[in-house]
Amino acid sequence: MDFLEQPPRFLFFTGKGGVGKTSLACATAVRLADSGRRVLLVSTDPASNVGQVFDTQIGNRLVTIDAVPGLTALEIDPEAAAGAYRERIVGPVRGVLPEDVVRGIEEQLSGACTTEIAAFDEFTGLLTDDALIAGFDHIVFDTAPTGHTIRLLQLPGAWSGFLESNDNGASCLGPLAGLEKQRQQYRAAVAALADPLRTRLVLVARAQASTLREVARTHDELAAIGLQRQYLVINGVLPAAEAAGDALAAAIVAREARALAALPGAVAALPRTQVPLKPFNLVGLPALRALLDDNAGALSTTPAAPANAPGALPALATLVDELATAGHGLVMLMGKGGVGKTTLAAAVAVELARRGLPVHLTTSDPAAHLTETLEGSLQQLTVSRIDPHAETERYRAEVLTTKGKDLDAHGRALLEEDLRSPCTEEIAVFQAFSRIIREAGRKFVVMDTAPTGHTLLLLDATGAYHREMARHMDKSGITHYTTPMMQLQDPAQTRVLIVTLAETTPVLEAARLQDDLRRAGIEPWAWVINNSLAAASPTSPLLMRRAAAEWAQIDAVRNLHAQRLALVPLQAEEPVGIARLQALAAGQRHS
Amino acid sequence: MKTIHIFDPALCCSTGVCGTEVDQALVNAAADLDWARQQGARIERYNLAQQPLAFAGNAVVKAFLERSGQDALPLVLVDGEMALAGRYPTRAELARWAGISALPVQAVGSDCCSGGKCC
Repeated sequence: MDFLEQPPRFLFFTGKGGVGKTSLACATAVRLADSGRRVLLVSTDPASNVGQVFDTQIGNRLVTIDAVPGLTALEIDPEAAAGAYRERIVGPVRGVLPEDVVRGIEEQLSGACTTEIAAFDEFTGLLTDDALIAGFDHIVFDTAPTGHTIRLLQLPGAWSGFLESNDNGASCLGPLAGLEKQRQQYRAAVAALADPLRTRLVLVARAQASTLREVARTHDELAAIGLQRQYLVINGVLPAAEAAGDALAAAIVAREARALAALPGAVAALPRTQVPLKPFNLVGLPALRALLDDNAGALSTTPAAPANAPGALPALATLVDELATAGHGLVMLMGKGGVGKTTLAAAVAVELARRGLPVHLTTSDPAAHLTETLEGSLQQLTVSRIDPHAETERYRAEVLTTKGKDLDAHGRALLEEDLRSPCTEEIAVFQAFSRIIREAGRKFVVMDTAPTGHTLLLLDATGAYHREMARHMDKSGITHYTTPMMQLQDPAQTRVLIVTLAETTPVLEAARLQDDLRRAGIEPWAWVINNSLAAASPTSPLLMRRAAAEWAQIDAVRNLHAQRLALVPLQAEEPVGIARLQALAAGQRHS
Repeated sequence: MKTIHIFDPALCCSTGVCGTEVDQALVNAAADLDWARQQGARIERYNLAQQPLAFAGNAVVKAFLERSGQDALPLVLVDGEMALAGRYPTRAELARWAGISALPVQAVGSDCCSGGKCC
């Protein structure tokens, strides 16, 4: 366990959602605490589930975990942090300024930028506030999904430089303007992150080609901003012994070995640990302690009861039949990162296109590998990606050529500087999203969305946009208009498919996402359980135990959460290309 | 030298590039104010969304907000006295308030106005 040797003060676990970084961060924190260290475990994930893992209510404050002496946990909730920030600004003038003015300020401070910045501010505080962290030997961060993490970590560098070079004070720091005095703190945070004696970054991945490619990208980006000291953990590797007598297990073992052999050079050179797949779910203290214990898997050798047959659960293609009857519309696949939204979006798009329907498949996932998944093309099917960098550049260029065309050189430079603000990307991506969903009146638009936290921020941006647009429209006397939010809320125009895995935590997270969507007035149309072992009928003892464990979760989804449900079996081969996507949609496990 | 105080409506940022649509008036205002600063004018801007206390703490501004509402912003004070409301000042106005004498000839030689005839 290289990544646990002589750990520095700060440990970061990062990786695509669903790879198990929360479990690893929790297990690491427990292990360090068990060895007598005082440990603070911090989650910065907008959809944190550290509380679930320890079966303790945590939240945005320090909570001691009674079952583990020496362990304290904290969840940084970006929404709560934004609320506190908002209150610091608005509180003093409430009752002093007119009520509608106060409401206007609150609305202005309810956007995505405020949330991002407030959460970042909390995070910086933890890295630099000695009084706060003095009592802890180690601080273990279970960071947010990759795209988000990169932004979070890139910001200190960007902003410290920005604050330094910006001497006229008129520039667009957005809500950060009020925090300008904390320059020193941001610089200290950057220094702590880049110092290998203080900070260790653990990249977590599964032995899958796409996940490993992404981890290589993350490695490069983080190394470029100064985080050189990185470790790699490959989680959930199926032990080779399981391959005997089970074609599915053999295919998985071979596939994982191939993926690891093809590990990109920069990450192949990192100190690496492989954590074997366990026959149990990683919830509760005994499971966490067993995760990093090499002998624990062998403790439970009792064969599992044979898995139930998948019964009458429909395949994805059955849902597509019903979707196809509308002839057009917006189909959004939503769920935590790593549950396979991109693959399923591609499968849905391919199925619709095969039925002769016009389809535009697109993704707003900052860590998208959609075009890599869909090798090949069908008539009727167009594929595009909302690339945050490209969108931001396009937006900057557009503003400069339209709004900036009459400015003199100095004014132009000022506008250019403002367009480098962190908010610009959010707006650019959102505009691209709004533009593409308009096509759904004529054809099918199938989108995989970004990971949950980001998705919700995006929706929040849609809401703010809706209010602003409605205000403009009312002023100019236009009475008939459709905003993106109205389109998302209309079940005749938009169908949301929630994607999850048949495991405890992913199902809870998906249920939470459904609640959030309902609060926003959006009713999910169906659920899809992806990568199901139960649907794949394995015979290897370890896989059978995991398949049997899935049924409680499948039943929970069917009975408590989903209006419609489809089950997608775990694939023996990575579902890349049209033929394999078709097989996946049909519910076959082999291509 | 007189001091110019500008009380902005609730903005994400001073050029408005953070809004869902960039407001041309804000982009121009940011450039004009920056120009005046370069000429030595003393200008301070307050954003209702970020510094509401500056609005609440100034009797003239507070009374203006109560009387006319936030839609009537921006409000410009020169040495504490109301000078302009409802729009941003032009370069000529800024120059007069700040006592800037030499106004540069407007955009000579630009594509739009070549040949000495403005479009």
